[in-house]
Amino acid sequence: MSDRPEQVRPDRSPDRESLAELIAQELSARISARDPLATVEQARDVATSIADMVLDRFDVRSRPAVRASHAAQVHMDDSSVILDVRDLSVAYGAKKAVEGVSFQIAQAEIFGLLGPNGAGKTSTLSAIEGLIKPESGAVFLDGVDVRIHPTQAKAKLGVQLQATSFQAQLTVKQIARLYAGLYGVALSDDELTKSLQEIGLEAEASKPFKQLSGGQQQRLSLYVAVVHQPTLLLLDEPTSGLDPQSRRQLWGRIEHIRQEGGSILLTTHSMEEVEAVCDRVAIIDHGTLLTTETPQNLIEKHRDDPAVRRVAHGEVTLEDVFIGLTGSAVRE
Amino acid sequence: MNSHQPAAGPPLRLVLSSLLRADFAVLLKNRRALLISTILPLFILFTTNSDKATKHFGGALFVIGLAIAYGLVSASILGYALAVARDREQGVFQRLRVTPAPTWTIMTSRLAIQALANLLNTIIVVIVGTRLHHISLSLGQYCLVLAVSVIGGAVFLSIGQALVGLMKSADSVNAASRVLVIGLILLGTFGQSGALGATWESIAQWSPVGAVMTLFAAVLHLSSWYSHDTLTLLACGGYIVVFAAIGVRWFQWDAR
Repeated sequence: MSDRPEQVRPDRSPDRESLAELIAQELSARISARDPLATVEQARDVATSIADMVLDRFDVRSRPAVRASHAAQVHMDDSSVILDVRDLSVAYGAKKAVEGVSFQIAQAEIFGLLGPNGAGKTSTLSAIEGLIKPESGAVFLDGVDVRIHPTQAKAKLGVQLQATSFQAQLTVKQIARLYAGLYGVALSDDELTKSLQEIGLEAEASKPFKQLSGGQQQRLSLYVAVVHQPTLLLLDEPTSGLDPQSRRQLWGRIEHIRQEGGSILLTTHSMEEVEAVCDRVAIIDHGTLLTTETPQNLIEKHRDDPAVRRVAHGEVTLEDVFIGLTGSAVRE
Repeated sequence: MNSHQPAAGPPLRLVLSSLLRADFAVLLKNRRALLISTILPLFILFTTNSDKATKHFGGALFVIGLAIAYGLVSASILGYALAVARDREQGVFQRLRVTPAPTWTIMTSRLAIQALANLLNTIIVVIVGTRLHHISLSLGQYCLVLAVSVIGGAVFLSIGQALVGLMKSADSVNAASRVLVIGLILLGTFGQSGALGATWESIAQWSPVGAVMTLFAAVLHLSSWYSHDTLTLLACGGYIVVFAAIGVRWFQWDAR
């Protein structure tokens, strides 16, 4: 997905009438401007340009239906599976936080993990990150068992935690150098300057982390997470607290990472984010995985679900499905 | 993106040097804490400079030992423990732990930088103290003073580690470390002087501050090294083992 902040992206899909109206106007304009569709090639040119215009006008290229086709192309054979979570259970004392969770993420796939507060998202992520020992189950990252070879697994993993978590006194440059070193990447001064230029933090290179804006902190955090070109990138609510511009910019960067072959697992509360960037999404609640689908299929599948219909206002949205599946009660 | 790099972790040397560089930068930026841990011992040296006061504390060597010990106490307990507790609360450790860096390197780097700060602090105090009291030390004695500084620093750092091991919240660590530092300082100052009676004098002598003070005084006046000093050295070793064991056993990387 390219970074297109100026584009209007309507929440709803184009309806039949407005699409027909748009095509009619365009055809009329083109026909009056040249010999009316003299050859098959000319007709094809016109049709193609109209198709492009419609796709751009409604930003359909990055919408779920198109993403669904990308997801459909992802073959889950053994060679393409980057993350394999098998029957994962996490407990804190007597309290079960995650129970029997299984899912896979393919190469170059953006996978969203959704769930209300306390549903088990962070516990699942922590088990993948190797921060907590699961009670049972296994996590394989690019074929490496996270429990048996944590160091090797962590070397393949890029992580952006939810909270800003760098030493506040360190400067942007010092943080970049520190984390590059921790991942075994030796950065020269030129390389570092170039990297900071690329993420728009060159002017802030000598600023302490605490003096950066939220968007700048997030950009640095993402840069640090991918400094070693990880196989899998974990993003824990990456856009929370960001303004729309920074959010769009981040989506652009996430898409760029995927285009380079990286797989991404992100947790979020934003349905807009899920629809914009995720190929597939899993909904987790009370520690159990409820469903795993493409965002579009999720809507299709639960469109007529009475619990979903009850909360929907008009056309069923992903948020309606989410609330329908996880309930309307506010979680602490 | 999917680089399929070798499965091994990053080179340990690069990991350690990166951590040490960052922790050193943080130490330099915490100027206030650095200043306090230097000013406190210097204040003690200047206020006990009179003959009467020096005699009251058992002589010039004990006064220098006292000043060094207080510097180490404030830097290691107030400075180190509080910094660790705050970083833990802000998730700094969790961020470091998701990297392939072995967890022991994270703490080792912090302790090493704090030990270095303690050494520099000790050198300053010894130079100022010996000038004030007109004492000349041999190169060997300077080396011994630095060795005792490492031992004394380890005693107080292990106490600091035990504090952050037993308490999760930074506020609790802050409150407890202040009370502890004041208690240790009062015990060292009044207990050692005998003002509180023989029992308290004995307790003070074997307290962490008293033991470290005794060691400093012993190496500053080598000709009078007694078996009591050897026992004091063993006591310091005991403090290090016990408090470090508590600090490591109960330390949690996450404050939640």
